[in-house]
Amino acid sequence: MDAVVDITVLALLGVTAVALLRIRNLVAVVMLSGIYSLLCAALYTMLDAVDVAFTEAAVGAGISTVLMLGTLALVGRETKNPTRRPILPMFVVLVTGGVLIYGTSEMPPFGAPDNPAHLHVAPRYVEESGHEVGVPNIVTSVLASYRGYDTMGETTVIFTALVGVLLLLATGPRNRRPWSADERRADRETAEGKGTEGDAHG
Amino acid sequence: MDDRVILRIGTKFLIPFILLFALYVQFHGDYGPGGGFQAGVIFAAAFVLYALVYGLGRAKEVLPPGFVHTCSALGVMIYAGTGVVTMLKGGLFLDYNVLLHDPHHGQHWGIFSVEFGVLVTVFGVMVSIFYAFAGRRRREG
Amino acid sequence: MLGMVLDVLSWVSILGGLFFMLVGTVGVLRMPDVYTRLHAAGMTDTLGAGFLILGMCFQTGFTLLTLRLLLVYAFLLFTSPIGTHALARAALSGKVEPYRAHVDEE
Repeated sequence: MDAVVDITVLALLGVTAVALLRIRNLVAVVMLSGIYSLLCAALYTMLDAVDVAFTEAAVGAGISTVLMLGTLALVGRETKNPTRRPILPMFVVLVTGGVLIYGTSEMPPFGAPDNPAHLHVAPRYVEESGHEVGVPNIVTSVLASYRGYDTMGETTVIFTALVGVLLLLATGPRNRRPWSADERRADRETAEGKGTEGDAHG
Repeated sequence: MDDRVILRIGTKFLIPFILLFALYVQFHGDYGPGGGFQAGVIFAAAFVLYALVYGLGRAKEVLPPGFVHTCSALGVMIYAGTGVVTMLKGGLFLDYNVLLHDPHHGQHWGIFSVEFGVLVTVFGVMVSIFYAFAGRRRREG
Repeated sequence: MLGMVLDVLSWVSILGGLFFMLVGTVGVLRMPDVYTRLHAAGMTDTLGAGFLILGMCFQTGFTLLTLRLLLVYAFLLFTSPIGTHALARAALSGKVEPYRAHVDEE
């Protein structure tokens, strides 16, 4: 019975991915990417990774969709036609994908009980986390205590992403007090019905 | 009368609960699914909702962009600062056992403080990216 | 005995919820324009979700989990109609024309 649900969700994931590639209306593409994230969250829940599913649903289906809709105001509603045939990018993608798939063939089989991860790393965390860390949720104890460096790296990466965005979308005078007057005037006009309404992007 | 009444009242009702839920997810990361990342995103989502319904100007008055830029850096500092505090107390970097009188309490408060740092950073980053994208129009031509 | 009654009730509720969700999906696919589709999706989604949550409540018995599920449904009851309303307003301000039936002049 579990296999039926797994196969259904994976099939829906595949259909959504193909639709994401082929549809030209970008608003539909953004919505489909939100659905893709939600299906991934369902998949993670079925794999018993509830923390990951929570994060995926919150970030992918929540914030990401809003940010991408905000980008659409800058980019336009339709996919632009490609100007030339992408032969070289296709070749690079195929070679990289092939090398990655070849690399995974060397890994131990998925879920086998005598994998090194299940013999050395996981039992130590599961058995020792109770009296070493004392926090009931083992995921949090691994994330914040056993692998605290990694989480610090993740937080720094998120911060670096923000620095990159701010460097690219230079928000200069828009961030000082005069913005308030302009934007509040835009808000008042929107509230009175001039121009399109519905969101802050105008 | 402003005809966006339904949206405004709905938002006014929901935002405190969203913020409360974010804090619940943050503090219950020890006992169930949750933790800093999810809580930061949900916390930011409340402010994004406010900006979408009430307008970007009012949202920027409530939560100035300078403040959220500072928040995103402050969170990383809190995280690394916990490591520095443990070093000053004689242990290794991010060794929570030496934080308090007892290793268990040290671990508990160490995890609490680093998850708080993650919350602050993720919240600051999400709102800052929203501010960077929102309100822009396509340049004609 | 009570366990079996609860099981049957939860099965009935979940199947009822699935039925309403299916009806809503068929409505979204078959309706002619945005407003009628929103009407189909918004109403049946809220009701279907309610039945699904009721089915889950029967499964969890009378614990704190039931209270949480009911709170989730309360928020869904609040936000789903508001979301539908926001979509309809956006469509109206985007000047989407409602579908008009062709009435023969007699």
